[in-house]
Amino acid sequence: MGSVGRDPAALELLRVQRSRLADRMRPPWWYLTGVAVMYALVFAFPFASRFLGVSIWPFFAAALVVAVPLQWGWTRVTGMKMGFRNLSSPGPGRPARYAVVVVSLGAIVTEPLLIDRGLLAVAVAVAVLAVAAEVALQEVLLRGIRQELRGGGAAA
Amino acid sequence: MTARPDPFIHPITRLSICGLLAAGADWVEFAALRDAAGISDSVLSKQSVALEDAGYVQVRKGAVGRRPRTWFRLTPQGRQALEDHLAWLAQLEEAVSAGTRDVTQATASPVNERTAPRTVPSPD
Repeated sequence: MGSVGRDPAALELLRVQRSRLADRMRPPWWYLTGVAVMYALVFAFPFASRFLGVSIWPFFAAALVVAVPLQWGWTRVTGMKMGFRNLSSPGPGRPARYAVVVVSLGAIVTEPLLIDRGLLAVAVAVAVLAVAAEVALQEVLLRGIRQELRGGGAAA
Repeated sequence: MTARPDPFIHPITRLSICGLLAAGADWVEFAALRDAAGISDSVLSKQSVALEDAGYVQVRKGAVGRRPRTWFRLTPQGRQALEDHLAWLAQLEEAVSAGTRDVTQATASPVNERTAPRTVPSPD
């Protein structure tokens, strides 16, 4: 084991190593596809509720069935467990976390209103746009995590 | 200098392991840590045992199917030691770059106490 001969060079090496670690957080195709499926289930709920009379629980269970293996696979691929981040958690991904909540609530509230007014096509468009927005926001969140890992987190 | 070095994590491999564990992830898996640090399996095993014995790193072993999986995380004690050590390294880096600047200025400046030729008073 080599010792730190030139100490400032050790800091530079650490930056390179953190960058390597951050690069592992690039999502494979199946991850973003899984995220899209999960949000599609969530945003399909108002339609199923209105036309099929289905309660929220089957949708909640189906979203969990997608989310749990997705998270498990993601942890296996990256080799990192990032821990839960809520809205008050600091970091570069914080605005995106707020945006996820706003988009979700917006779509869930808007869709039934549009369906009740007979604007089914518009409601479908809102659902599709919401899924696309959530996938894009997931990308932003992951970019924030990569940025955080490169910066060195708390011990920067 | 106010920050103090930690001799235990001063060796580059241990510093790399601790630095990567402090980067932001809660737990980091063996292979991810090995690849990011650019070290071999045996080196990581040996150093992680040393860091665990010192109370700097927490190790959790499990298995996925038949494959064993080892996860690492930094303990609060390890995090504190790393923060202090990195602060010391940053101060050192600053001091070194300041020293380099001084040397550069000294060699570039035409009038300098060390390099300027002494004016010899004329015999007149």
